[in-house]
Amino acid sequence: MQATSPVDPRVLDAMIPYYLHQFGNPHSRTHLYGWESDEAVEKAREQVAALIGADAKEIIFTSGATESNNIALKGVMHFYREKKKHAITTQTEHKCVLDSCRHLQQEGFEVTYLPVKKDGLIDLGELKAAIRPDTAIVSVMTVNNEIGVVQPVEEIGKLCREHKVFFHTDGAQAAGKIPINVNDMKIDLMSLSGHKIYGPKGVGALYLRRRPRVRVEAQMSGGGQERGIRSGTVATPLAVGMGAACDIALKEMAYDEEHIKALQKRLYDGLTAKLQAVVVNGSMEHRYAGNLNLSFACVEGESLLMGLKEVAVSSGSACTSASLEPSYVLRALGVDEDMAHTSIRFGIGRFTTVEEIDRAIELTVTQVEKLREMSPLWEMVKDGVDLKSIQWTQH
Amino acid sequence: MAKKTRKRWIEVTFVTKEGDRKTIRVPVGMSMLEAAHENDIELEGACEGSLACSTCHVIVKDEKFYRMLKEPSDEENDMLDLAFGLTETSRLGCQVIAKPELNGMELALPAATRNFAVDGHVPKPH
Repeated sequence: MQATSPVDPRVLDAMIPYYLHQFGNPHSRTHLYGWESDEAVEKAREQVAALIGADAKEIIFTSGATESNNIALKGVMHFYREKKKHAITTQTEHKCVLDSCRHLQQEGFEVTYLPVKKDGLIDLGELKAAIRPDTAIVSVMTVNNEIGVVQPVEEIGKLCREHKVFFHTDGAQAAGKIPINVNDMKIDLMSLSGHKIYGPKGVGALYLRRRPRVRVEAQMSGGGQERGIRSGTVATPLAVGMGAACDIALKEMAYDEEHIKALQKRLYDGLTAKLQAVVVNGSMEHRYAGNLNLSFACVEGESLLMGLKEVAVSSGSACTSASLEPSYVLRALGVDEDMAHTSIRFGIGRFTTVEEIDRAIELTVTQVEKLREMSPLWEMVKDGVDLKSIQWTQH
Repeated sequence: MAKKTRKRWIEVTFVTKEGDRKTIRVPVGMSMLEAAHENDIELEGACEGSLACSTCHVIVKDEKFYRMLKEPSDEENDMLDLAFGLTETSRLGCQVIAKPELNGMELALPAATRNFAVDGHVPKPH
């Protein structure tokens, strides 16, 4: 359950009335339809805020985490452009963060892309050294969407607060899955996504701290909805869905975590019991249990995927699965190109069952064994040949 | 015997979006919005100074004066969020009260307000 998740039936129940008879525009001030709709949006806003320990006034509804990331990065840099020219992020961020940064570079801003250690975490010393007097924002995602590692957000928040730099974190894969408190973690901006936590697709939120106030330049011009930061009619059913999803996630987080951790252990143990040379990409210790990114030596990822059609896994992440290059996240971890090519991301969620895990193990083991049987590289490895010592020639 | 005369007014310069300057005298204790209206300076004040709009948005040109002002309340900040052309030294004119230290302050008027009028219509002060 990484690329997306099914809508929880309870969330759908909450949304349906606002598609049918309670269809008012929440910004219509003069009649009951509007008032009802507005009330529903405000309740959803409180539910989203409660999930991350924020105040409802600090939540802005957007079309998704991509939009929230765009507003956070471009919005902050543009607003403070007179004095601040520099932003810091990491090499393993989601594409929408990296692309926004590239776009900012085109506009003349400077961006530092911090490398990560072999376990996928950033080095706090390097972050501190990268902060300059003209740094406006540091953006580090809480949980990585490809490898599932959890960054040390509390320490990063503390460092940023000391240096008076805004701290933005992409919390799309974290909110609702691990406990988050924006005040304890000293987070100033945070992006959230509806469809990662069993909510509807097409909605997300941006947390924007009020004290001390973070200002952004709006990316959508219009009637000034959402405190002037995101113009456009708020989609009541989607907002209600997101609110309900956050509410459920808050209540069931501990239960979900236990369920998912057990399944992750079952999957990992099941695979490693039957297969050798299976490597976990990213820290096993600082990890969100619902993500398991594995490399199977001497097996090509795409071929493995073709054999695993029944299981919805990906090689790389959904947004990069169309490109032929191996994942830039794995490259940042220092994973060899051939191991990067063989990586598979397994996602486990609230609705995953034991049967599904066992079936995934069965299929994966069968496919990997079959492919290794055919692989001359695997034969060489079994014979103890160091693959790196081979001189490949062309005929 | 020399009598110490305390200044009962200060000089404030308003700069319009075209760059025209107008220096006026503002009695200590009066808000910039009121002073602007008394001197026919084009500063809208749709809610008449009750912290319910952002149309009296002014930009304090010198950071030195901006720092002398009392920090904006949450309510003022909420309204400022909605202002057109917000900057780091923006304030609501109705909340900036004249005091002796602000003598010589320059306030720039933003290019537009939240009241939409692309045809150049300017609402008259209430």
